[in-house]
Amino acid sequence: MTHFIQVLILGLLLGGVYALMASGLTLMFGVMRIVNLAHGVFIIGACYVAFFLFRELGWDPFVSLAVTMPLFFLIGLGVYTLLFPRIEGSPRFGEMTVLLTFALALITEGLLSFAFTGTFRSTDPSYATEAIRIGEFFIPTAQFYSSITSVILLIALWAFLYFSRTGYAVRATMQNRTAAQIVGVNVRRVSTISFGIGMALAGASGSLISFLFPFFPARHWQWIAILLALIVLGGLGSLKGAVVGALLLAVAAGLVSDQFGPTWSPMTFFGALFLILLIRPQGLFGHRERVG
Amino acid sequence: MTQVEKKESSGTAPVPPTPGRTRSRARYLVPAIVTLLLLLIPLARPLIGQPYNYMLQVGIAGLMWVAMSSSWNLIGGFTGYISLGHNVFFGIGGYTAGMLLVYQGLSPFATAPLAGLVAVGFGFLVGLVTLRTRGPSFIISTIALLLMTGLVFDNWDLVGGSNGLSLPLPPFAVESVKIPFYYAMLLIAIGSVYLGYRVAHSKFGLALRAIAQDETKAEVAGIDTRRMKIAAFSLSAFFVGAAGAIWGYSLSYLRPTIFFIIGVAAQMVLMVIIGGRGTVAGPAVGAILLVTLNEVAITQFGSSELNIVVTGVILLVVLLFFPLGVVGTLRDRGRLPSFLDWD
Repeated sequence: MTHFIQVLILGLLLGGVYALMASGLTLMFGVMRIVNLAHGVFIIGACYVAFFLFRELGWDPFVSLAVTMPLFFLIGLGVYTLLFPRIEGSPRFGEMTVLLTFALALITEGLLSFAFTGTFRSTDPSYATEAIRIGEFFIPTAQFYSSITSVILLIALWAFLYFSRTGYAVRATMQNRTAAQIVGVNVRRVSTISFGIGMALAGASGSLISFLFPFFPARHWQWIAILLALIVLGGLGSLKGAVVGALLLAVAAGLVSDQFGPTWSPMTFFGALFLILLIRPQGLFGHRERVG
Repeated sequence: MTQVEKKESSGTAPVPPTPGRTRSRARYLVPAIVTLLLLLIPLARPLIGQPYNYMLQVGIAGLMWVAMSSSWNLIGGFTGYISLGHNVFFGIGGYTAGMLLVYQGLSPFATAPLAGLVAVGFGFLVGLVTLRTRGPSFIISTIALLLMTGLVFDNWDLVGGSNGLSLPLPPFAVESVKIPFYYAMLLIAIGSVYLGYRVAHSKFGLALRAIAQDETKAEVAGIDTRRMKIAAFSLSAFFVGAAGAIWGYSLSYLRPTIFFIIGVAAQMVLMVIIGGRGTVAGPAVGAILLVTLNEVAITQFGSSELNIVVTGVILLVVLLFFPLGVVGTLRDRGRLPSFLDWD
């Protein structure tokens, strides 16, 4: 039992970080119907930023948030403006976004491999190997800190969406793009900002996982597959779904890893994806695609 | 019969009918000459001289990509369902034939059709689950499928895990070892292009194009969309699996990183999009263009991480500026030579 609770604790801690990574992805889908296959590679890109700030300037990965978040917000604005207004109104918009971001992922992966080679990297701040003991349980400090930070950022995102004017506009656009436009929401601006926020969240995730999971450029496929599986489970475009899905699957993956070895833990995500497609294709909190 | 289908559009773009164009003899002449030349190349060793084996190897790869892209086009082009994990079938075919060779001593030349069928069966089972959804969920499921299968093959001792499996060398004389592979791949390529042609000119193909245009309307019109999609998905696995069988044998070893990396799927997608999605000739055109480009790039600049960047950049540019691909764009401008017009 003690062992089970220990696995549960570790799973929930990781789940918080997964939730942060997935929130940006699901926000982009919710607001703009963009399936961003490049989300993973941007997270890895942010890992490299955190890595170099750590190695060259001795910045703590948590301090590097101050760089990765604004930097990736700006990259997001640029990427959105460059790619997506061109295909707006295309009858096959959803599919185009997949293909465009697929191309973007390939390009970024290639550039990262070219610049940083395929070597495994990781930041190693002092707390990366420490743990807090509470009774019989131990809580790895790194996981704890990053999970807390993820939760804070998620609360900030929630507060932004619910208590700011732009946040209202974002949620209105998520609910009904056309109607939002009719009541005077500048949908283009909202979309650009949302994409930027999604990317800022990717940047933050990169800083936070840079000491949790060793990274190399081609790693991003595994990340994006896991994250996409997770947001399909939660329901595409649902932030609540992304958080619940992340916590659920992180715990499940922890149990699988405990039983069958860490090699198989990604299998949890893919297995859950196929299971949910079988029993509830729209995901836990998703709605069936509206016809029309 | 062909008149009806001419009015239908395919893939991403409406295809304007080509009224009153006389079916010139060139339409059949050019493909016939190309096929004849492809058949004769292995006999022309004295003419080709030193780079003979290199030529055949490029031929094998080129024909393989023609088969792969034409097959992908059935689901990704005609039906409009992007599969980013189609190389799963490539790997399944390769491993099926390889295992039969290692454990039963059966030649992949004989078991390639069987490998294709195993891929079809697998595609059918996967399709039953993943084609319950439309749109993004399907695409996501194909990526998950690819990583999942890769993970299994990486850790499955029976098939050699991540170290892979060495195959017995083919029992041919060294100087002519490539010839049987070449002809086998030629057969597979012709088969898959012909399959694409037959599908394009069938009621089944019509149904697929209807699904690509508007799935809800297609359903309302009485098309059993789910069955059609599953059929298209499994059918598109056959020649990919068979090509995997021959390709693996020609390398004489199997390794997950040859088959189960997303770069292989990226190539399939790219070739079809460059050539023209949902057209019969497009995938072959795209495959030939890209294989040529790749050969030139590797001989001129060597192979590096930047190859993947080039793949991405080409994909991006084509998507943004020529979404119809070579065949689609030429048709749009009324400049499509009749020998490429098989829709």
